[in-house]
Amino acid sequence: MTLATNAADLVAVSVAGEIAHPGFPGLPAEPYRLAADGTPFLLPTYGGIVYNVSVGDRAFGWAADCIHPGVSIRRADDLGNRGLNVYACVGNAATVMTGAAQGAKGCVTGKSGRFSEQVIVHFAKADRRRMAVGDQILIRSEGVGLALADHPEIACKSLSPSLLAALPHRVADGRLEFGVVATIPAHLAGAGLGLTSEGGSLHMQSTDRDALAERGLDRLRLGDVVAVENTDSRFNHGYLRGALAIGVVGQTDGPRAGYGPGLTVLMTAPGGALGAYAAPGTNIADLLGLEA
Amino acid sequence: MTTNLRSNADTLVEMAVAGRISQPAMRPNGYLHGPDGKATVLPGMFGIAYGARVGDRAFGWAGDHVEPGVSIAHPNERADFALHYLTCIGNGAVVTSGLAKGARGTVTGEHARLLIDFEPAVLERLTIGDQIQIEALGRGLVLLDFPEVEFKKTSPRLLDGLGLRVEDGRLTVPVVMELPIEIMGSGAELNAEFVDQDLMSGDRALMADLGIDRMRLGDLVAIRHADHRYGRSWRAGYVSVALCIHGDSVMTGHGPGILTLITGPADRLGFVLDPQANIAQRLSIGAAA
Repeated sequence: MTLATNAADLVAVSVAGEIAHPGFPGLPAEPYRLAADGTPFLLPTYGGIVYNVSVGDRAFGWAADCIHPGVSIRRADDLGNRGLNVYACVGNAATVMTGAAQGAKGCVTGKSGRFSEQVIVHFAKADRRRMAVGDQILIRSEGVGLALADHPEIACKSLSPSLLAALPHRVADGRLEFGVVATIPAHLAGAGLGLTSEGGSLHMQSTDRDALAERGLDRLRLGDVVAVENTDSRFNHGYLRGALAIGVVGQTDGPRAGYGPGLTVLMTAPGGALGAYAAPGTNIADLLGLEA
Repeated sequence: MTTNLRSNADTLVEMAVAGRISQPAMRPNGYLHGPDGKATVLPGMFGIAYGARVGDRAFGWAGDHVEPGVSIAHPNERADFALHYLTCIGNGAVVTSGLAKGARGTVTGEHARLLIDFEPAVLERLTIGDQIQIEALGRGLVLLDFPEVEFKKTSPRLLDGLGLRVEDGRLTVPVVMELPIEIMGSGAELNAEFVDQDLMSGDRALMADLGIDRMRLGDLVAIRHADHRYGRSWRAGYVSVALCIHGDSVMTGHGPGILTLITGPADRLGFVLDPQANIAQRLSIGAAA
């Protein structure tokens, strides 16, 4: 069943960013961040070219803090970077425009929010080896404005028409439902609450490992499609009984409080208008045919 | 109440930090968006709030993130962080420039700016840019018999006024209400030493059902499964006690500001309900002055 959309009315626009460099705080060169229990840690963190972590890999268990799989891009000027962060939609095509990997094709797989504000792009591992920090990557952005003709209550966020068409779905009693790997209870939502839902990420809480294991959430993979219960992401992310948000796991877990794996929210609706059903294995690496 | 609680208060260092009364600022288009997208323009943050004091209601203002009293910040970022990290709730403040020079107030909250309560007559003589100095005291405070329980931004004056007692081996704090942790929102991205975390008031029916919409500025509240030692984690078996420092918001994921004061394991930190557990009453300031 194909969902009726306004895809024919969407305007595709170029947005570009440069491959970001990882960053650490300045002098006195205190490199540590604090884990949720106060333990200082020094680990690779978001940004840059990540050679060995890709969409489809596990989201937990890396010796790292909120790693973005593949390549992270941003623009130096904040307003331009905002344009990049808002316009880029999961599933959009990306092309390397400068450097040794010029012409390589990739795909947007997630976004990160406050304090990093990068767009996460998948490229084949062989292409990553030819890239340099600072290379420009162009995204053919398409998806902002996307609407479902028969389900106007559902707001689409950072969702390309190509990914929407690939997502498993069904209609039950008039309600549109999407297949998800897991549903995250609202009390395990963390960083990103109260922040914009047009860009950025909503992170899971991952401090209490038992709470994750009980629900199998510690087995999530990058790229998994998941739901967050009682969460209204129409304008910012926040608690509302009956609302649902559906997103994709964009970045890995980390040791900091409130910063488990990050989700890039794709759809949301209040009042029970959006549903989810268990569909193990639903991962955008497969849905979008991402090349390893 | 605290006569049997031993603290290290006699080892604390008291230090001056200062800020200037802030000018209200707005985003370029001025709009705040509600959950349904409705755009509004509302006052509340920054500056001198003439009508809202600690002890007044937290909900129902035609305002957003209403900061009671006077909001001060330091123009230098590093100095401003010192103002944030060293100031404790209940610290004394004194106006050091302008027409109200010498007037004294009390710190009642830490938002993006420090919030200070003064008598209404003092507000009439204050202006944007006046310097206010805080006698910062409280960082490093511990209760010697409760080393597992961590205090943040709690002055010895506030510690004495909280009505703490020991019940079943637990340090027990009177609070006005308990908040369910699933409504704790914006601020989850920050470390727990910096400002507050908003409760999410977007589910208005839930606010009414639980009586949260009767919260007052200055109320003490408790949250189960909240580990606020180094950030804001969901962790079974932890409790956090916090203070309502600013008013409600129309924005999704926002609401009254909840500032962490005490956090610890539930076998050492507990709470009891007490409708009088508001710092305006406890410190005889604000609406209870």
